[in-house]
Amino acid sequence: MASSPILRFRPADALVILCILLLAGASLAPFLRNAAVEPATVEVWQNGVLTRQVPAMSQVTFEISGTYTNTVTVDYGKVAVTHSDCPTQDCVHTGWISYTGQTIVCLPNGVEVRLTGGGAEPEIDGVSR
Amino acid sequence: MKRMCAAAVLCALLCGCAAAPAGEEGGQKRYEASFLTLFDTVTTMVGYADSEEAFTAQAQQIHDELLEYHQLYDIYNDYDGMNNLKTVNDNAGIAPVEVDARILDMLEFSRDLYEETGGRVNVAMGGVLSLWHDAREAGIEDPAHADLPDQDALEEAARHADWSNVVMDEEAGTVYLADPDLSLDVGAIAKGYAVERVCETAPAGMLISVGGNVRATGPKPDGSPWVVGIENPDGGDFLHTLYVEDSSVVTSGDYQRYYLVDGQRYHHIIDPDTLYPATRWRSVSILCEDSGIADGLSTALFTLSQEDGQKLLDAFDAEALWMTQDGELLYSPGFKAAVRT
Repeated sequence: MASSPILRFRPADALVILCILLLAGASLAPFLRNAAVEPATVEVWQNGVLTRQVPAMSQVTFEISGTYTNTVTVDYGKVAVTHSDCPTQDCVHTGWISYTGQTIVCLPNGVEVRLTGGGAEPEIDGVSR
Repeated sequence: MKRMCAAAVLCALLCGCAAAPAGEEGGQKRYEASFLTLFDTVTTMVGYADSEEAFTAQAQQIHDELLEYHQLYDIYNDYDGMNNLKTVNDNAGIAPVEVDARILDMLEFSRDLYEETGGRVNVAMGGVLSLWHDAREAGIEDPAHADLPDQDALEEAARHADWSNVVMDEEAGTVYLADPDLSLDVGAIAKGYAVERVCETAPAGMLISVGGNVRATGPKPDGSPWVVGIENPDGGDFLHTLYVEDSSVVTSGDYQRYYLVDGQRYHHIIDPDTLYPATRWRSVSILCEDSGIADGLSTALFTLSQEDGQKLLDAFDAEALWMTQDGELLYSPGFKAAVRT
């Protein structure tokens, strides 16, 4: 049975297929980059110095020592100060944050915990409280 | 031929994917700075600049200006070579104090706001506020012995909060508290007022927040608005997120600066009628252009009914979001125009 001329493979087909594959790859690239190269990060700043960076998409608990001790819990994209021995407890009361651009502050310990989105624009520019 | 066209179209699409990196607008990159040195709270600044050095210089300039306001309006600390509100309070009943114009201007603003809000925002009520401040500090330090201020002391302090005893002399540049038991506490408006004054000369296209008093000095460089979240008193997701371009968002809530006595929460916004923390609302957020007015209105509306609050909003061309004790959200007629989510 003779093949239909419509289905016959021509050199331009290769170019179209190549372009489709490249386009598919390119549209995935931003997600791959965000996931692998510039992940959303939990940053810990203490007295103006960046002291720790933790991938936001992880499950980890760590302590920040200083005048007081803050216990920070990271749980797959959200972060909270789950315990603190500071007097005001404002950091604990802030609860879980999950938007890039959000922060938790412990003034008595000079600590700021920031959720950043790598190089991406954060979802939230500021918070009124 | 059709296939060649398809290939060309796909190639064009492919080139379109090479967009500018996120966080850059018109060649300018986004930067943030934060400071824990001002007004006993956290200050953040967001903006776009050609270089980190350029942004840092802008942020430092704003910080330094805010720091001067912070020191001038401080009622707890002395600073070398500076007469501030503590100096004024310390000289109550003794002598007029020569002060910076930024103190006189702010006090005039406060007196106007006192009159326009029917006395709901009274920075001359420092005696009452300091009793609560001291009780709160002691209660936070030693929760087992947390106690309320003495009722007689509160009532006595409230008798010394009369604006007629705040004597301002524009020509001499002095303030004199004619009642020796009167003291000033500008906590209800100082942050918002200082932010507003600093934003008059700050670069366009910045978002400045002093302890959650948020002020935008125009949209982002690409013309898009800033996104400001309103904190939920119970934590977790925001009550709303708003679009803000060149206005202020200020929130007063019962979840900030509080302490517990016998399991009951006592926060820092004192109703001038009851001399106790206002219990009408969980939080009130104000949206209006002037950050100082927004700050004052958030305190005033926190102690008022929705109806009386709305009258003030109408007078100042402002909008509000109220959260009731039951968690219900109430809106002024124009508030939802700014709501993003």
